[in-house]
Amino acid sequence: MDNKKYPKFIRWFLDRPKTTGFITFIFLSYVAGFIVSQQYQLIKEGEQREMNNTLRIVNQNIEQSLKNCYTTTLTLALTINDLGIPENFDDVGKKLMESNTNINAVQLVPNGVIKYIYPIKGNEAAINLNILASPYLKEEALKSVSSQKMYFAGPLKLRQGGMGIVGRFPVFRNNKFWGFSAVIIKLDNLLKSSGINTVDDSKYYFQFSKKNTTTKKEIFYLPNKTDFSEKYNISTIIPDGDWKLYLISKHPNYFYAQILIPAIIGFILAALFGILIYTLLKIPEELQFLVNTQATKLLNSEIKFKTIFDQASVGIALVDASSGTYIEINKQYCNMLGYTSQEMREQNFQLVTNSNGVSNKERKDKKIIPENSGVKQYRTKSGKIVWANLTVTPLLETSARPSTNIIIAEDITLQKETDEIIKKSEIRFKSLFEDSPIPLWEEDFSKVKNYLEELNLIHKDSKEVLLYLNEHPDVVKECISLVKVIDVNNVCLKLHEVKSKKELIAGLDQIISKESIDGFTKQLIAITQGEKQLITDSTIKNSFGQYRDVNLRWNVIRGYEKTLERIIVSTEDITDRKSSENLILKSQQRVESLINTIDGIVWECDAKTFAFNFISQKSEKILGYTSEEWLASKTFWADHIHPEDKEWTMNYCALKTKGNLNHDFEYRMIAKNGAVVWLRDIVNVISENGQAFSLRGIMIDITKTKEAEKDLNDSFNLVTEQNKRLLNFSYIVSHNLRSHTSNIASIMSLIESSESEEEKDEMIQLLKSVSNSLNETMVHLNEVINIRANIGLVSESLNLQQYLDTVQKVLSEQITSKDVSISTIMPENVMINYNPAYLESILYNIISNSIRYSHPERKPIIVIQWIEENDTKVLQISDNGIGIDLVKNADKIFGMYKTFSTNSDSKGIGLFITKNQIDAMGGNITVESKPNIGTTFKIYIQ
Amino acid sequence: MTKKAIWVIDDDPIYQIIINKIIQRSEMFSIVTTFKNGKEAIDALHDTVHHKLDTTEILPDIILLDINMPIMDGWEFMEKMGLIKSKFSKPITVYIVSSSIAAEDKNKSKTYTDILGYLSKPVTINDLVLIASND
Repeated sequence: MDNKKYPKFIRWFLDRPKTTGFITFIFLSYVAGFIVSQQYQLIKEGEQREMNNTLRIVNQNIEQSLKNCYTTTLTLALTINDLGIPENFDDVGKKLMESNTNINAVQLVPNGVIKYIYPIKGNEAAINLNILASPYLKEEALKSVSSQKMYFAGPLKLRQGGMGIVGRFPVFRNNKFWGFSAVIIKLDNLLKSSGINTVDDSKYYFQFSKKNTTTKKEIFYLPNKTDFSEKYNISTIIPDGDWKLYLISKHPNYFYAQILIPAIIGFILAALFGILIYTLLKIPEELQFLVNTQATKLLNSEIKFKTIFDQASVGIALVDASSGTYIEINKQYCNMLGYTSQEMREQNFQLVTNSNGVSNKERKDKKIIPENSGVKQYRTKSGKIVWANLTVTPLLETSARPSTNIIIAEDITLQKETDEIIKKSEIRFKSLFEDSPIPLWEEDFSKVKNYLEELNLIHKDSKEVLLYLNEHPDVVKECISLVKVIDVNNVCLKLHEVKSKKELIAGLDQIISKESIDGFTKQLIAITQGEKQLITDSTIKNSFGQYRDVNLRWNVIRGYEKTLERIIVSTEDITDRKSSENLILKSQQRVESLINTIDGIVWECDAKTFAFNFISQKSEKILGYTSEEWLASKTFWADHIHPEDKEWTMNYCALKTKGNLNHDFEYRMIAKNGAVVWLRDIVNVISENGQAFSLRGIMIDITKTKEAEKDLNDSFNLVTEQNKRLLNFSYIVSHNLRSHTSNIASIMSLIESSESEEEKDEMIQLLKSVSNSLNETMVHLNEVINIRANIGLVSESLNLQQYLDTVQKVLSEQITSKDVSISTIMPENVMINYNPAYLESILYNIISNSIRYSHPERKPIIVIQWIEENDTKVLQISDNGIGIDLVKNADKIFGMYKTFSTNSDSKGIGLFITKNQIDAMGGNITVESKPNIGTTFKIYIQ
Repeated sequence: MTKKAIWVIDDDPIYQIIINKIIQRSEMFSIVTTFKNGKEAIDALHDTVHHKLDTTEILPDIILLDINMPIMDGWEFMEKMGLIKSKFSKPITVYIVSSSIAAEDKNKSKTYTDILGYLSKPVTINDLVLIASND
């Protein structure tokens, strides 16, 4: 809010309408309160004054009455003669009574006993009452005696009835108390004479009280004895009787009532005024807010319009009508004319208008600003001519001549230029059309379309249309005649071998032969389908009757899609091209058939990605995958190489390709049926600029060769193995026989040179044992030879368990003595095809070995298991014996006469024979062993 | 000429009897000790070296070594002996005595410097005399 024109102090209030309103309210409330309290004070004072007056008057009246009584009593006392007896009491009494109407009775009371009363009538009851003896009266009576003054006792109940006061005047004779001179005034009379009754009793009432001297209690004598201490009252004391006279206001809240309404009104006014102030102060704030909102809106719309003005794609300017100077000008206008906006302001409208663009009439009228809108030419700063479409709108009231004009200038230079270009391109098109090396026809198909529409063929299914047209050749003919040839180019004449355009323009029916009808029908179908383009091959017949193949291109010119009034048809002579194409096709087919007859997959692939782009049909025969399947996947080749060969094959191929080296290698691929196919791949690297670009090659199926190679290898290995065995055997033979023969030779020489018979005998004994050993060796060798020669080798179906039992029976003595535990884990009735003698021998040798080489420190355990390993049946015999150090003895364990222990039983023949027997049965034996842990033999049975 | 100590390592008990006779006949050797295989012989050598016995007296001058033996063959014995020979107080000459006539064994024996010769069985008294006097 803008309150800056006010001092800061006031602004503080103006800024806080609520606070200010509240302060105003408080202030006014205070003022109202003050006024009301003043009013209250005034009313109260007036009231008091009134009451005091009233009270004073009453008091005076009473005092007056009492004074009268004083006079009366004094007068009465004077009647007492020297003897102390009243004289003429009744007369005096009468006179006194007449002079003082208030008094009801007068008395003389010598020594406290009422002796004289006037009038006696009505007061008889009081005669001879000793007041000094009556406790009811005694006290007050004595009070006046002691004070020696007149004292009014009561109000008290009179003997003669009613309430009254008794004024007693003590009479002394010779300083000696004589008695009382008294007046009796009825209370009613007293009050009447006091004027209490005349007082406005709507406002006040009186109360009359006396304090009881003994009890000190205040006793009230008038009606309305209700407690008035709460009410407003004033009082005065009448000393003659120790009375207290009260004047009491009847309405205790009278004053408040009087001031309440003004107070409330004052308060309400204060509140209203506070609200008023608040509202008044609030109004400017709201107005300010409204102003701000409106200002923002205004600013926004101003920005908007400014933006529109500045960013408009048309030039907008505000021009002074008379001088033609620019008042306001937007960016586009400046841009259009190439001046800055500052420069433009200095320009006159006419200056930038090119004189050519101003009409003569305007020039004559010296009109600065064209009144009519229209196309105008401008000259830009750089001298370029710019065309603009002007719209001039006067910016003022319609009646008066406008002082400013709004000019909207749309740059239409481009449009103008485009028109020019179109004109030029039309010319160019014409010349292109004429000079085109391809025969071109400009035709009008509108009538054809209408005709087809009439026949209801438009948008029908193309097959249906075709059928219809085939069935109605007359319709086609009609269509041909309906085509209007507008123009043809020069080449057309050559194509049709005619001399002038006229011959062709005359009509298509002259040109179209039987052979061309197919091509034309296609055009008709294209029209029915709403197509804009048609490319087809067709045949025409020229005027010499020669047939030419043409590539017919039928194009609807843009803008004529509906009417088909302009169609460009090109009929490129492709007769020569067709024949050479046919030639190429044939040679391609030849090459392809050649490729496909090659007994290998001919292929081509990308040198970098190994993605294949050609695969010959042999692929299906060799690998089971068609060439389509192969070409469908970019990584087909890599994906189908045998997993074991993949890595090296890819690496090898990549390496060779990198070096631009033709290569030739062999690897395996997986065929569609899962078979492994060996391929020899002969690869040619095709390079461009020294970079390998693509690979071509042929994959030849060498699976059979590979298999033969493997067979050859296997049999070679077999022969080698057998040869080795044979060598070993011959070695064994020679060694074993030699050791005996050398012993024999030694013994013989010893015998020859022996000197004693004794020695000779010894030698002969030795010779005998050598002979025995030799025999044994011969037996062993014979056995081995028999095994090897397969002599008498008969295989039968044998129950394995039975043979195990037999062997255990044979070995039962050893088993018992060594406490061997043999457990068999195998299915029941395992049958094997084996030579019975061999089986027994094998089982005996291995089990007896296990028992013989059992560990001396533990109970021998032998486990016989029947297992299958890769579809091969295996009999596994494990023990926990002393074991063999296979690291040292691996090549010897199954050799002849190889023993590994100091055991004297070991002959080194058992395992040798066992192995030979198993080999002879086409099986195999392996051993696993660890010293001190045990040995496991596995017998593979075929 | 002092007589030499000779060890015979061979598993053939008959051969052992015969060689003992021949050695006696040759009268070229003072002590003959026989071992059934390479292991027994190498253990004896170990004992001698480790217990610091009077090695010169106990160690042989010549060893007649067979090749094919159970437990430890001749070649293994040669390997083991090579490991401890530096501790010997005198050179020990080894002769291979084998019934094998395989060239393979003969050639292998030449690779050991400690093997002085290769004798094919049967061994004659003349052979022993030559060995004993061949220093």
